[in-house]
Formats: sequence, C-alpha cells, structure tokens
Amino acid sequence: MLRVRELSLAYGDTPVLERASLTVETGQFVSLVGPSGSGKSTLLRAIMRLQQPSAGSIETDYGPQEIGMLFQDDALLPWRRAIQNVALGLRFRGTPAEEASSIASGWLRRLGLTGLGNRYPRELSGGQRKRVALAQVLAMKPRLLLMDEPFAALDAIVRARVSQDLMTLVESAGIGVLFVTHDLEEALALSDKVYLLSHGPRAQVVGEYEVPLPRPREIIAARSHPEFAPLLAILWQDLSRTVQEGTAA
Amino acid sequence: MRGVLLRQLVGFLVLLVLWQAAGRAGWLNPLYMPTPLAIARALIQLFGEGTIWPHLEATFGAAMLGLALGVLVGTVLGIAAALIPILSEFLAPFMLLLNAVPRVVLAPLFVIWFGIGLGSKVALAFILVAVVIFFTVYTGIQQVDRKLVERIITLGGGRRALLTEVYLPSVLAWILGNLKVAVGFAFTGAVVGEFVAATRGLGYLLSFAQSTYNAALMLAIVLLIVGFVLLLFTLTGWLERRLLAWRG
Repeated sequence: MLRVRELSLAYGDTPVLERASLTVETGQFVSLVGPSGSGKSTLLRAIMRLQQPSAGSIETDYGPQEIGMLFQDDALLPWRRAIQNVALGLRFRGTPAEEASSIASGWLRRLGLTGLGNRYPRELSGGQRKRVALAQVLAMKPRLLLMDEPFAALDAIVRARVSQDLMTLVESAGIGVLFVTHDLEEALALSDKVYLLSHGPRAQVVGEYEVPLPRPREIIAARSHPEFAPLLAILWQDLSRTVQEGTAA
Repeated sequence: MRGVLLRQLVGFLVLLVLWQAAGRAGWLNPLYMPTPLAIARALIQLFGEGTIWPHLEATFGAAMLGLALGVLVGTVLGIAAALIPILSEFLAPFMLLLNAVPRVVLAPLFVIWFGIGLGSKVALAFILVAVVIFFTVYTGIQQVDRKLVERIITLGGGRRALLTEVYLPSVLAWILGNLKVAVGFAFTGAVVGEFVAATRGLGYLLSFAQSTYNAALMLAIVLLIVGFVLLLFTLTGWLERRLLAWRG
C-alpha cells in the first residue's frame, strides 16, 4: 500500500502542491488528474525520492526496488539494444547477465516484441519503444507502478493497445498503479479510483471518485458501461470548475 | 551520391589539366607555381629515393602521440571538472584562457622546454587536442540528458551505473564526434612544431623547401599532409560508424 499524507511540494520558493493526501491499495489502479501545473508529475517524483517534500509524509509497504516508474518520455538508453534496456534494472540488482537476458527476452515476447530485441531504440516505433520501457519496468517485478502520462505521445490506436496490455498485466500480477494523465476518459477506463487535483500553484486534492467498473476490464468496452458516461460528466464538471477557479484567482 | 562524386572528380581533373596547360604555355612562373606534373615528380622522388619515410615517421609519431595524450588528458580533466565543482572553478577559466590564445604561439616555448626532438612536437599537438576534447567532454556532461540519469536512478542504478551507462557512452559519442577536429589539430601541432625547430618531419621538410625556394617540393608535402589527414578522417569516420551504430 502507498499512503501520501498532507504532502506539500515546492520548486525553490514556488509552492506547487499543498497538503495532498491519497492512497493506493495493493493491486489497485489509481489515476491522478488535474490541470497542467497542478503538481501531478512532481508528486510521482517525490514518491520516487527524486524530489524532497517540504512537508507531509509518504508511507509505503514497498521497498525502493519494488516501486517502478514509467516516464512520459520512454527514456531508453539510445546506445543499448532493446533487450539490454529491458535487462538494465535486473543487472543493477545483480542478476547474472544470462538470466537477466532470458527474463528480458520473456518480457519482450509477452509485450509483442518478439524478434525486436536486437534493435536500438531509434529503430523502433513510438509504440514499440513504449512497450520496451514498460517491459523494462515490469521485468523488475514491481508491486507498485508509478506512471507519468506514459502514453501521451502515442496515437489513439497504439495508445489503446498498449493501455490494454498494461491493464491485463497489472490485473494478472496484482500490481498497484498510480497513473498520471490529462485524459479523463483514459483515467476512468483504466482506474478503480481517480483523484482530482486543483489548479496550481498550491494545488490540492479536491475530489476522489470510485470507479465501479468490473474487472478484468476491456478498456474499449469499459467506455460503453452505463456507469461510465455519468461519472465522466461529473469529473468534467469538477475539473472545469477547478480550472475556472484557478484562472479567476 | 555516385553522380556527385563523379562530377567532383571530373571537375578536379579539368582543373589539373587547365593548371598543367597554363604552366606549359608559360603563363605561370615555375618558381612560384609549379605544374601538377612537377609536383607529382617531387612526390615520386621523395618516395622513390625513400627519403620521406623518416620524416613521415616523425610527423605521424608526434601527431598520434599528441592525439592519444590529448584525448586521454582532455577526457579525464573534462569529466573531473564537470563532476567536481571546485575543480571546475579553477580548470574551466584556465582552459578558456588557453582556448582564447592561438596555441601555436607556444611552439617556440615548447622547443625551449622540451628541446628540438619529438617532445616539443608532441607537446604542441597535445595542447591543441586536449583543450578541444576538454570542452567537448565538460560541456557534454553538463548537458547530459537528465531523463536518462533519472531513469537509471529509478531502476536502482548507483553512481557507478550512472558513469558506465550514461556518462561514459555520452562522452564517447561526443569525443568521436569531435575526433576529426582533434586529428586535424594533432597534425597542425606536429607540423608547426617541426616548422619552428626540428631535424626531421614534414614540417622540417616544408621549412627546408621554403629556404631553398623549392615550391614543387613544398606543394608535394602539403599534398602529402592533406592526403594523410584525409586518410585519417576516413578511418575516424569508420570508427564513428562502428562505435556509434546506435545513432544510425
């Protein structure tokens, strides 16, 4: 479980996030939505200890090696082949080269990248690179996955495919996910719970929405579930209100 | 691509033919501007009599040694200055100053310090190369992609992993990208050093040709230097393509 309590974050003297609290239960898919500049990415960075909070606490049952992070940019090493990129984290853990390579190969296969292991990142499409980055994180067997708009740069079809693959994998492995996105439909289709952040600076958690869609979930089919449209409308309304309040302030 | 190369070759040949014809017609004073055939004869004589080899060996030796030392020291200092702020406070302005002055003016000083032998030529080639490589590595490391650094950290990599997986491959790419410039500088250092004071080397031969008003020999040597530098450029390009295959 991940519990963020009353967390405040700042960039230098500029406050970004103020007294934000949220919880991600084991195996739960949680999305964080909000206007640009509301500190969504900063919050993930703080959980990964890439940024120091100015107040509050982050409590988790997971060790540092059990938390994986997928960035908006796939951030693959351009000089390493796909299979070497996937095996990277395993090598840092001390897994022998051959074993790491075999595990990496298995993950590439599971993510539909059979035969592409020897390619450099520049030789892969955007969707393939994203899958390699996903394989890189999943190969570490994380119990919690932090995702910062990982599919933002992909076109709609590739995005739907990669999202579905992710969904299936985290559902079957019981991985908890904290997912940052601008896309409210994507947030609802994927999540069990959605948090809404207000307009920054000094953004706060202003809404928490349970998503009562069944699992296992098909993300395309989820959009036509009777509960989906009303929930989306509420979320839109609340987001619009917080943006207007932020702009007025 | 082939068509362009062919056109360039034909253009060059036409230029040579016109140059030769102008020389034969007496339009060019051979004392100042020898014909292409006269230059070719001087080249053939150098190789035929075997007198060129010790000079080539001296220049190549000085240039390659200066290049190797310059790349090594420039890289180490560049990495150290980029990663240790207190060192950068001293090194960066010093290197900037060294970069601002035309470093070939140091040639006479190096002759006093290291004598007229190999040492002064290596020193000049070294200083020319080291400054270029230092700035390549120093600015390169400062501009390293932060996303890659954070990726390694989030995957559990420590300082050693950052060095081997991010900094060193980045540094290698920047060095190889600037190796052609460094090769040119290494030869400039070696030849200028020999030109100032030497008993062997292509720079010494140039100086000798100048003092005897032998323009054909002078142009033959210039041609030789250009040829060897181009050959090294080709080798560097091959190395770059092999080691940086990931860049495509």
